[in-house]
Amino acid sequence: MSHRVWPDGDDPIAAEVRRALDDAQQRLPDNVTVRRGWAAFDARPAGRRGARLSWFAGGMASTAALALASAALLWPRVVQTPERSHVAQAPVASPASAETRRLTLEGGVEAELQRTSVMRLEGSGPRVEDGAVRFKVPHRRPGHPFVVRAERYRVIVLGTKFGVAVNGAGDRRVDVDVDEGVVEVWNNDVRLARLEPGQRWNSTPPEGAPADRDGTEKNRDAADKVIEKYELPVMAPAKAPPSPVVETSLQLRSDTRHRRSSMHQERKERQERQVAVVATPARAPAGDSPAAARAALAAGDAPRALEIYRALAQKTGPVAENAAYEIGRVLNERGQSAAAVTAWRRYRSDYPAGILRVEADVSIIETLARASEADDALAEATDFLRRRPDSERRGEIARVAGDLYRGRGDCRHAVGAYQVALSASRARDVLEASSFYRAVCLVRTGEGGVEALRGYLRSYPDGRFKRQATDLVEQTTKTNH
Amino acid sequence: MPNSKDMESPVNTPGVLRSVPSGKGGGPDHDILAGCRDGDRGAWRVLFDRYSPIVHRFLASFGVPPEEREDACQEVFVAVYRSLTHFRGDARLSTWIYRIAARYASRAARRRRVRTMLSSMLLREPLPPPAPDASERTERLRMLDELIAKLSPKKKLVLVLFEIEGLPIEEVAQIAQCPENTAWSRLHYARAELMAMARKRLKTKAAGGREGNA
Repeated sequence: MSHRVWPDGDDPIAAEVRRALDDAQQRLPDNVTVRRGWAAFDARPAGRRGARLSWFAGGMASTAALALASAALLWPRVVQTPERSHVAQAPVASPASAETRRLTLEGGVEAELQRTSVMRLEGSGPRVEDGAVRFKVPHRRPGHPFVVRAERYRVIVLGTKFGVAVNGAGDRRVDVDVDEGVVEVWNNDVRLARLEPGQRWNSTPPEGAPADRDGTEKNRDAADKVIEKYELPVMAPAKAPPSPVVETSLQLRSDTRHRRSSMHQERKERQERQVAVVATPARAPAGDSPAAARAALAAGDAPRALEIYRALAQKTGPVAENAAYEIGRVLNERGQSAAAVTAWRRYRSDYPAGILRVEADVSIIETLARASEADDALAEATDFLRRRPDSERRGEIARVAGDLYRGRGDCRHAVGAYQVALSASRARDVLEASSFYRAVCLVRTGEGGVEALRGYLRSYPDGRFKRQATDLVEQTTKTNH
Repeated sequence: MPNSKDMESPVNTPGVLRSVPSGKGGGPDHDILAGCRDGDRGAWRVLFDRYSPIVHRFLASFGVPPEEREDACQEVFVAVYRSLTHFRGDARLSTWIYRIAARYASRAARRRRVRTMLSSMLLREPLPPPAPDASERTERLRMLDELIAKLSPKKKLVLVLFEIEGLPIEEVAQIAQCPENTAWSRLHYARAELMAMARKRLKTKAAGGREGNA
């Protein structure tokens, strides 16, 4: 019911304008938008937030860098630069060194490439584009997996030795085999296979078919032979790219222009062949952007927005990261809470130190709590409280944990959680609710609940639990007498 | 003793983790301001939670398109961050933030106009109109946005602050940096123009609907 003074009158036009103004007054962003806004604001470096002069200095520096880069690119030269990269090590001097090349990646991960392999180092990890690469991953902390991408699949590991191969022609088959440890193969939100030592997986056409576990068992002997030989799928000479160069994005500058252009041409031809044989729906169609996704959402076309975000999530960098988070948000808004949680968990595994990591944690907890998945929500919430002692979201999460404990009838733990919320939060609604429910739990456990309720009433004389608190005080006092 | 299990369970209540609603949360603004000036991240969080929804709504009413709103909101808070040390506290914090948001929104509108003009001069394809939405509320909001967009920036500012943001006229005058009487006068003309445009538009729509039915 509108209480507006203007526009007055009973005519339908005035009523329509009144309603429109009321609607505009309700046009507040949802919680996730606010949280994402905070995450982006909080992540801005203080210098960027504060200094204006740095714009000038930055502008000058980038102009100079651009000029130097242009000069370097345009200068006629005969490039004899040895291949160099700050992550690449010299080729191994072993009998196999002519056939393989070893790289040390971030986190001490060792990658061994065959002479025809092509691997690209992206922001989120390596992508095997062609040929076979073997990885040796030192043990990593839980929640910080190492991810290798190959075509539209992701191979997730915590510490192991394994190989990934992409067949360079035709159907672009992806092969994964494991020497030690456990790896998982994912396609979007679906886990296709969990491989243990000695097991193999491949993306046999039609693409996207789930892992053939029986086939894995049947092919164990053959797989063992391959592993014993430490030789990954051998490509037919006619199909293998002729260039002996190991290409990574960090090494492009060390190559000759001629070689680069020929490689580019070869890759283009390969891609054309690939397009001719297999459609690649995972690739982002031209023109897809976060703005397009937001516009689709604003127009109410959530499926289109989801499609754009999924395509963007296949890319790298901040856009992909944001898109990975947004997938969960859109799914959640469409009521698909389980899928949303899966998407956010995937975001977490892909971006363990991502800008929206805390938001993903909070979103998961919130969604699980709302979906009445109390056990999961509680596990996530306690994990969050343990891992993030300095988070500004600690108060909110502690309050949710308290509610969940209280819902299970575990008043003792609920009191502890509410206590954390009271000490960690500055938001009034969290403080008020925690204060009241802590008192309720103390009443239940018979540990001075009445005093706590009176304390609540003193602190919040017009609080939203005033009536309940007053009733509870009266009845508890009567019972005690 | 009542069964305390019957009490409201916020776990299943929508908005478990709701950000602090405007004007209701936390301590008074000066506590938050002091915290923000000391670089307290928690205080910044409270400030952001409290005012970003309002800034977001204001930008929406002022005609910033949905796809630009989040970035625009960011820019406003970056400006708040930069200028907080210069905030003397003569006005309310909300008034000051509204003033920054209004300045940003006006600048953004100018930039958009230039962009549109340039793209039409360069014979680029004009932006497609938004997809039709069956929701009555969305339709109403779109109508309001279009009508407000036709007002002059000064009238628009006063109307949005008074009618949508619900600010008292003295605060509106402070934000618009004009005397109160001028604010009243602008509001009067803005209301009259808005109603005239709404009448014209809705009558045209009704006539179109009748013709369609015939």
